[in-house]
Amino acid sequence: MTVEARVKLFNRICAGVLIAFALLWLTPLLWALDTALKPNAETTRTTWAVQDPNVQAFARILRDTDIVRWFGSSLFIATLTALGTVLTASLAAFALSRMRFRYRTLVFWFVLAGIMIPSQVLIVPQFREMDSFNLLNTFWAVSLPQIPTAVAVFIFKQFFDGLPRELQEVARLDGAGYLRIYGRIIMPLARPAVAAVVIFAFVTSWNDLLWPLLVLSNPDIMTMPVGLATVQGSFGIRYADTMASALLGAVPLVAVFLLFQRNIVEGIAGSGLKG
Amino acid sequence: MTAETAVRRTDASQTTEAPPREWGHGLPAAGFLTPFLLLYLLFIIGPALYGLTMSFFNTSAVKPGLNSFAGFGNYAEALQSSDFWSSLWHTFWFTILTTPPLIVLALVFALLADRVGRGRWFFRLAFFVPYILPSAVVALIWMWIYTPGLGLIEAALTKIGPTSPNWLGDPGWAMPSLAMTTLWWTLGFNFVLYLAGLQEIPRELYEASAMDGAGPWQQIRSITVPLLGRTTTLVAVLQVIASLKVFDQMYIMTSGGPDFATRSILQYVYDSGFTNFRIGYASAVSMLFFLVVLAVSALWFTLVRRGEKEL
Amino acid sequence: MALTRRALLGGSAAAAALGLAGCSGLTPGRDPGGTLDYWNLFGGGDGVRMTQMLDGYRATHPGIDLSAVTLAWGNPYYTKLSLATLGDKPPDVGIAHLTRAKTLISAGLLEELRPEDLARHGMQATNFSERPWQAGLVGGKAYAIPLDTHPFVMFYNTDVCAKAGLLDSSGALLPLDSPEKFTEAMRKAKDVTKGYGGVVAIDNDVATPWRIFQSLYAQLQGEVLADEGRKVVLDDAKGTQVLDFLQGLTKQNLVPGSIDYQGAIAVFANGQSGFYFQGEWEISTFQTAKLPFSMALFPNVFGGNRYAVQADSHTLVIPRRPGRDQAGLDRSLAFIRALLDQSKTWAEGGHVPAWVPLRDSPEYRAMTPQSNYAAAVEGASYDPEGWYSGSGSTYEIVMSAAIGSVLGNRSTPAAALSAMRSNLTSLAKTASPV
Repeated sequence: MTVEARVKLFNRICAGVLIAFALLWLTPLLWALDTALKPNAETTRTTWAVQDPNVQAFARILRDTDIVRWFGSSLFIATLTALGTVLTASLAAFALSRMRFRYRTLVFWFVLAGIMIPSQVLIVPQFREMDSFNLLNTFWAVSLPQIPTAVAVFIFKQFFDGLPRELQEVARLDGAGYLRIYGRIIMPLARPAVAAVVIFAFVTSWNDLLWPLLVLSNPDIMTMPVGLATVQGSFGIRYADTMASALLGAVPLVAVFLLFQRNIVEGIAGSGLKG
Repeated sequence: MTAETAVRRTDASQTTEAPPREWGHGLPAAGFLTPFLLLYLLFIIGPALYGLTMSFFNTSAVKPGLNSFAGFGNYAEALQSSDFWSSLWHTFWFTILTTPPLIVLALVFALLADRVGRGRWFFRLAFFVPYILPSAVVALIWMWIYTPGLGLIEAALTKIGPTSPNWLGDPGWAMPSLAMTTLWWTLGFNFVLYLAGLQEIPRELYEASAMDGAGPWQQIRSITVPLLGRTTTLVAVLQVIASLKVFDQMYIMTSGGPDFATRSILQYVYDSGFTNFRIGYASAVSMLFFLVVLAVSALWFTLVRRGEKEL
Repeated sequence: MALTRRALLGGSAAAAALGLAGCSGLTPGRDPGGTLDYWNLFGGGDGVRMTQMLDGYRATHPGIDLSAVTLAWGNPYYTKLSLATLGDKPPDVGIAHLTRAKTLISAGLLEELRPEDLARHGMQATNFSERPWQAGLVGGKAYAIPLDTHPFVMFYNTDVCAKAGLLDSSGALLPLDSPEKFTEAMRKAKDVTKGYGGVVAIDNDVATPWRIFQSLYAQLQGEVLADEGRKVVLDDAKGTQVLDFLQGLTKQNLVPGSIDYQGAIAVFANGQSGFYFQGEWEISTFQTAKLPFSMALFPNVFGGNRYAVQADSHTLVIPRRPGRDQAGLDRSLAFIRALLDQSKTWAEGGHVPAWVPLRDSPEYRAMTPQSNYAAAVEGASYDPEGWYSGSGSTYEIVMSAAIGSVLGNRSTPAAALSAMRSNLTSLAKTASPV
């Protein structure tokens, strides 16, 4: 065998192995879909064949649970959190990267220290705090503590540090204030960083379970993950319904992913490598 | 003093420079920093200090105020509690079970995908889509897959021969089962990081080594894997930190059972604080958990420092 | 969607109110409208029946916008209920196990239900079975209205038992009132099914192992906790006797040693076992499965002439909320009364009604197999008092874990008892947070 043929064969084997694994990775989702398409009674036989495929399980979930409302809550909270994070973090990072002031290093280290505190460590005092602010069972209780994200400040600062100084100086000579430099020059250039932080904050907020589980105890305003985790017990052995609820819960983010596949993957790779 | 000179002075690296004398930018800077710092103080630093305080009191979830002073009582109780140590061990056990396969498999899949070249969107879809699913969705799907008597894995195993264990019901198997679910769920993240890392390796290196007669396997061993060292460190750290914070899978899939065999440290905090109303004790456990995370981070930091010196 | 359903009900409210105005004698005169949030933890057959009862309420109270939510059973439910009450957004009415209501009461999370308020809705102590009513009082005050008593019972497959010669000439099950008779019955049933004699949920189950243990242990008059949970009085001799007996059953493979809740149901429903031990609520599951079965009191294996069985009661409670007005309270109490009036629907699901007008009716006595085990109410053994005790509590989890490990042959009775003792002692030593 020539070297070329050997390389070709090797590549073929690689492709084969990878495809096999990719299919294996897709199996749970396909199985969930398969189950959801069966009538509940048919799910007690472990087979891929569906005698009477139908979408009634999906219809039942949409009709009998508050899943649409949970979707709304999640969307609102995740959007609020993502926007709040981008705005506060980029403003702070701008000051830390582009402005001179006393105690700048101190402030920077103070913010950086926040990266070391896992948010989960704070659930107990934060709960008490929300209780005393009378904010329990509101969207604010979920969103506000998620907005100040030290990592996001760090990502923005890294990015701003990498932008050429001259841009700012020219603008400064033209008499532009800091707010204009931030809004008109720096932020438009920082689109990759914004994308990374938005995606990061949105997905984290959307998928968060522990915190909203604590502060949203009223099913009327639960987020999607909390709602799914809370009512799963009431499905009992109605496996088709359970799978339908899981898939409906998956749809929004999967749709977002398919639309913005490139940005999401690059954003995560980029922020991860920098962070 | 004009803005121009001030701006120019910032060009140098920021840490070594002496703080500037002038106050000129203090006010606008404060304006830019305030929204973040306000929320940061209110929802991160404040609670951190409040949590530290509560950890020294018998604070109850259903009573107002801090309640009676406990001194180091909560800490002593936690350190003497077998529940605390076993939940800490479960957390570590989960970390040990998930981290190596999540690194190795992600690397292997990324190497393969890099070599195959075509159809990358498909692989990205297959491996990455699980990662963006909410934990509740993942948990529901895998609970169904693990269901005794009806589950997909049991059916597949029975066809090949071996009898299937009770995945989530057997205390010995529950944690590996949760680890397997987590592997499926989060591998995509590492896969993407590795793919990005692979793209930064210059093609010329491969071409040069191919001229020297190196086969694909040798190239992977001598070029690719060593050059991915930084990515691997990053992946490992993110992985360990994420594993230490595990809660969702256990909460939904096993509620920490069977026999508490899968109760993680965070669930222990949740149980103590919100089911048993013992907020003060739960705060003490949180603080101990924080120390563990700090220790792990510090360990990583030292390792990275040493690694960078060698490079 | 709930929204559209509500809109629909609202739209037809006026018409329906006219038609039903004449027969609303139970509620005080008028139906002032408003909203009502109700939380429960019922899945399976209970969930279906509760939905029927709620529909019944909606039909008679069309002006009220009822929103009912089912949450995950056990600790998650009580955690949610407590957190929501702390957060001032509790439901108007909630279900609570009698044994859990105790802790909620000491935490100050429930409204006291004063006799004069109850009387306005035709409820008083004598309307309820004595055992659950008395068990629910704290300091002589009522906070929780018992809906039922739900004992641990025995389900048996009538075909299997007939073939095994376990039925008398009238078709009734022969008494299994000694360890020998019990074990012998399991063996005979196993010979017929070729699978198991009996089945009980063990794995991943935070309550069932405790239920079967407590039923037998209480028959020996054993106690676990005293002094409101501040003292552990576990009796090693009695505990060992019960655990040895239970482990014997799984060691001889008469009962599977590793099976979870759904698995246990499946084994019995598929005729792979002659007996199934669980709370009576699983009746609907087997009725749906068209299984030839009946139900009886959990056997008096150790009790001699004194019967005891593990049980709890579902109660209706009104969580405390600032600014609740008289109208709101009356709406909640009227709702509770409306559910009590539908006790028959509830009893069909296996629960023994606490509402005396139904309990003493020929209608109930004619219900079989539901009325077969009504006597369990007198022998009901509730979980001991303690802030960490009650259905689905840390206490039951600790106990079930230890008992389950014995049933699954993963530990010896002695080891399990010492595990129980050390876990309970550390809980008992902890100052009550409520």
